[in-house]
Amino acid sequence: MEKSLTVLQVTLYHSTQGPTAFTNVPSRLQHDTSPLLVGRGQDAHLQLKLPRLSRLHLSLEPYREKGSTLLSFCLKALSHRGCVWVNGLMIRYLEQVPLSTVNRVIFSGVQMVIHIDWGVSLEAFVCCFHLSPSPLIYRPEAEETDEYESSPQEQPPLVSREATPGHLGFLQGPSQTQDSSPQQSSRGETEIQLQRELTDGALC
Amino acid sequence: MSSFEDAETEETLTCLQMTLYHPGQLQSGVFQTIRFYNREKLSSSQMVKFGRNSNICHYTFQDKQVSRVQFSLQLFKDFNSSVLSFEIKNLSKKTSLIVDNMELGYLNKMTLPYKCMVRFGDYQILMEKEDGESLEVFETQFILSPRSLLQENIWAQHYPIPENGNYSSSSTQSTSPTEMDENEL
Repeated sequence: MEKSLTVLQVTLYHSTQGPTAFTNVPSRLQHDTSPLLVGRGQDAHLQLKLPRLSRLHLSLEPYREKGSTLLSFCLKALSHRGCVWVNGLMIRYLEQVPLSTVNRVIFSGVQMVIHIDWGVSLEAFVCCFHLSPSPLIYRPEAEETDEYESSPQEQPPLVSREATPGHLGFLQGPSQTQDSSPQQSSRGETEIQLQRELTDGALC
Repeated sequence: MSSFEDAETEETLTCLQMTLYHPGQLQSGVFQTIRFYNREKLSSSQMVKFGRNSNICHYTFQDKQVSRVQFSLQLFKDFNSSVLSFEIKNLSKKTSLIVDNMELGYLNKMTLPYKCMVRFGDYQILMEKEDGESLEVFETQFILSPRSLLQENIWAQHYPIPENGNYSSSSTQSTSPTEMDENEL
């Protein structure tokens, strides 16, 4: 019986170029356990045609925590000039951070939300890419939310976890929101609430 | 003005010196593709793989008991630090990688201490890091040890075992003396 693969549901949004920034992005990309490279260059496994992007901008590296049977991931910045925001933390060249269940990543005008659905296979993992017509991240810095701040009227549209079969489709609109109360993930992390509305400005 | 005066200021490079030993190194030529004593410059963003498959690995061991990819080394930088650190990851499904006394299974990884002993199968690699300024490149250098790094106690020579048999608590090495014999290798 085939072991289930870990799936990274990756939702993409570009602040100025919109979906045209991601014309080369496949809907599904299976990768072995080597680091998955993201950048502008031909060596990148996920190639994005963005002029402000470094040839190798960042990597997603699978590994296994001691005592765990599942894959974990860390994100490492590989750009000498640009930076990457990961869950509110700005990382620079060769700095890396472990990823949790839901992760907000910003680099070179790209907003990327990575939701990890864990599988048991240690042979490979899969990235399923989705495009968002609207911003995904409110601000790059870390933010604390509490009950007072998350009033029902301001519930964010969470990322659809459904892979769009056959082609790279848009996410559902705001009416297709899920319950946005803070969720405890299967791995114990509190999932990050994703805010709409963005002033991307001069991020990385 | 001479080009010497105009040249970019040289930066020192982080260097990882690796002293290798395998009990069959003279007979079987397991290290025949390794260029000993040569300093090689590599990109800091490069993942350096060690194993048997020369299409995948930068450094290869000529030994069928070695996995096609045995382990990898890669550099990273701690936050707000200018110092590069090495991370070692076991890429072998069959063989554990032992870093000092820490056993790494498949895809387990850890930060290398400044000086540590890495073992898998019959292989012993003493890894010693020297800090440098450059973030762009680093260097590797291999040294061949004529004798076991464990039997000759080279590994622990800077940390002598006191009469009570305990290492100093400030030692970065093993917290207890380790006796090895051939059956354990």
